[in-house]
Amino acid sequence: MKMLTKITLVLVPVVALSFSANAHDPKLHIKKAQKADCSKLDHSKMDSKDPVAMAMMKKCMKQAKKDKAAAKDGMDHSKMNMQHDNEKHNH
Amino acid sequence: MKTLKILLILAVLGITTMFTVMYSGIVNVAADEPHGEFVYWMLEETRENSIAKASANIQVPDLSDPELLLTGGVDYGFMCESCHLKPDQKESDMSVGLYPAPPNLTNEHQAHDEDSDRRKARNFWIIKHGIKASGMPAWGKTHDDKRIWAMVAFIERLPKLSPEEYQILTAMD
Repeated sequence: MKMLTKITLVLVPVVALSFSANAHDPKLHIKKAQKADCSKLDHSKMDSKDPVAMAMMKKCMKQAKKDKAAAKDGMDHSKMNMQHDNEKHNH
Repeated sequence: MKTLKILLILAVLGITTMFTVMYSGIVNVAADEPHGEFVYWMLEETRENSIAKASANIQVPDLSDPELLLTGGVDYGFMCESCHLKPDQKESDMSVGLYPAPPNLTNEHQAHDEDSDRRKARNFWIIKHGIKASGMPAWGKTHDDKRIWAMVAFIERLPKLSPEEYQILTAMD
């Protein structure tokens, strides 16, 4: 009986502590560099003279340009690789 | 002569008390053990009056340029959000664990901060110089004034930002 009491006294705090440790999600510590999510921007509701709206439009336009350029770059790179591969085959 | 003796005794008593408190370890410095009401009031008053005096002569520039919100937003997201939170966030590890608790900057501006220019100057001073023993760093050591004013401009707008607007303004380019 004494042994059972001792085990209970040790086990209960250990289990309780492990639960509290698991309750904290480590993902909360991860801060990723995210791209602006401009898909939810409703231009009709925005005041074009409001600095917040102006800043958001500026950022989204900049991002759209970047995405377009990146997509273009991606295509060119694939072409370059193909040419490079062809050259290799010819040699 | 008698007065001098009394003053000397009081000075010795004061110094002895100070060293006893310092070296006995009786002061609990744990952040999860709050100060008593009187000590908290004393520290808060000292802090607020110090900031008010130090920031009294700061000239607030024009903060209406949208570009400031973009620079300030990204900096806020990386440097301030973990303690001072973002729209729709109630708490974080830092906001819960730090003592004194960092203010939630997504809340409407505090009543004692009604004067907009004083509030902006106050925020500029706090961001630039930090606050001793509070967890607030002196960002002025690594960021120039222009960048700090951009953060002030962003913080001014923060209470009215939706989570979607916040995401766009704080996202990396």
